[in-house]
Amino acid sequence: MSCMTHFLFFVVLFLFVTPAFHNVVVAQGNVPEPEKPSLYVEVKEEKPKIPFFQGFTLSADVYGIVQYLLWDYGGVEGALRLNLKNTFFPIVEMGIGKCDKEEENTHILYKTTAPFARVGIDFNMLKNKLQDNRLYVGVRYGISKYDFDISGPALEDPVWGGAEPFDYRGISTTSHWAEALVGVQVKLWKKLHMGWAIRYRRELSSTKNIYAKPYYIPGYGTTVNSGTLGFTYSLIFDMNWGMKKMKMKIKNEELRVKNEE
Amino acid sequence: MKIFVIHRFIKSEMKIKRKTKAQMSHRPLWLFIISTLLLLYACSANNCPLESTVTCNYGFYDSEGVAIIYEDTITVRTLLPGMKTVYTYRKLGQRTVVLDYRDSVYIKNGYSETISEVRRDAVLANKIHDVSSMKVQMQYYSDTDTLIFDYSNISNKDTVILLHDSYSNVELPECGTHRFHYLKEARCTNYGLDHILINNPDVNYKGNENMKLYFNGSAHE
Repeated sequence: MSCMTHFLFFVVLFLFVTPAFHNVVVAQGNVPEPEKPSLYVEVKEEKPKIPFFQGFTLSADVYGIVQYLLWDYGGVEGALRLNLKNTFFPIVEMGIGKCDKEEENTHILYKTTAPFARVGIDFNMLKNKLQDNRLYVGVRYGISKYDFDISGPALEDPVWGGAEPFDYRGISTTSHWAEALVGVQVKLWKKLHMGWAIRYRRELSSTKNIYAKPYYIPGYGTTVNSGTLGFTYSLIFDMNWGMKKMKMKIKNEELRVKNEE
Repeated sequence: MKIFVIHRFIKSEMKIKRKTKAQMSHRPLWLFIISTLLLLYACSANNCPLESTVTCNYGFYDSEGVAIIYEDTITVRTLLPGMKTVYTYRKLGQRTVVLDYRDSVYIKNGYSETISEVRRDAVLANKIHDVSSMKVQMQYYSDTDTLIFDYSNISNKDTVILLHDSYSNVELPECGTHRFHYLKEARCTNYGLDHILINNPDVNYKGNENMKLYFNGSAHE
């Protein structure tokens, strides 16, 4: 796929996901303001105490599937993310990556299908932690153990003559990489959220072999450059009972204050 | 205290609301940064190696290991599979001429013609001189290369034999296939050469010096 097609795809995608980011920013101002208490009370520096364990989220990435349908590689992945104080989100991501590419000019075939895993943590960057939307940054460590096949047309010896095609199968490789990401999560309906993230990935190491460098690493992407940009667009099931309790508590406090007045 | 808590919460919300308006004014900057990142990703550079010819690189040294510029003319040939017909023209007092084709001009000029079958060969380095190194291609699908060094000032020719493994290598599918080699053993005769050594056995397109050729004599003589 040409450079320009890639770019246009990203522009369309970006226009599609930008409103989601906009929602996060605007949503911060959408919390209904309760009436101010009439009593004057001396203020001391204290923040609302958020319980440590707030819940968890389960998510599935849909972008990988779209990517595979449009291009030669992609995959499916899911994630389990814990919610600690609505601020820290330790996460485990697992999935299967697939690549089946024939290079149009050289006719070299590269094939692999393998599982991968990532572990890491996200940080909610919004000041107001008591809302459903999040803007977060995060880091990941990724690993994949996979076998790949690579084959190509015959290469002719220009001096001595003769030509033999090559076909190397099952080249066993283990790759490690690191990721830094920025993303958003917004509420769609009740516990259903959506989120996207842009990820910068950098390969840390891969098993070396004399025949070929891995072209595609499951969960990482292509190795054309030393670092690569990745994207995830996830549908998220957010089980956040901690915040539900917190909101109930605040609501009860408001009612109590009103009653006292 | 509880009233205070609610009051603080409201105040923090108001602060956030004010900040949000400020953030909104930076939206074009966000768009610019992310668009630039995406553009850079979409139009990444071609990462194929610029120098992609795989050659065995020879460095020239005197018998004591001092790097030298070799001023004599050398032609390096290799033997190819199969035979070819050669035409040899001789005349008393004249230089013998060997051709791959028949040339009737020599017969008209009184030369005698001899037709014979000899092993096919190819020139890998043609009449090089005043050089300190040379690059020579290697055989893709055979594990033995036989090179014949023909000197202009030495009547005998040296034969160099290289034993190696060869394998196809793909850096990236878009860069195509290259044939790499791994040198296992090197031998030579000793007319112009003193000895040879394998310096770096990995023959690829990285340009490392793979072989050291030590010629007879010393640069300090």
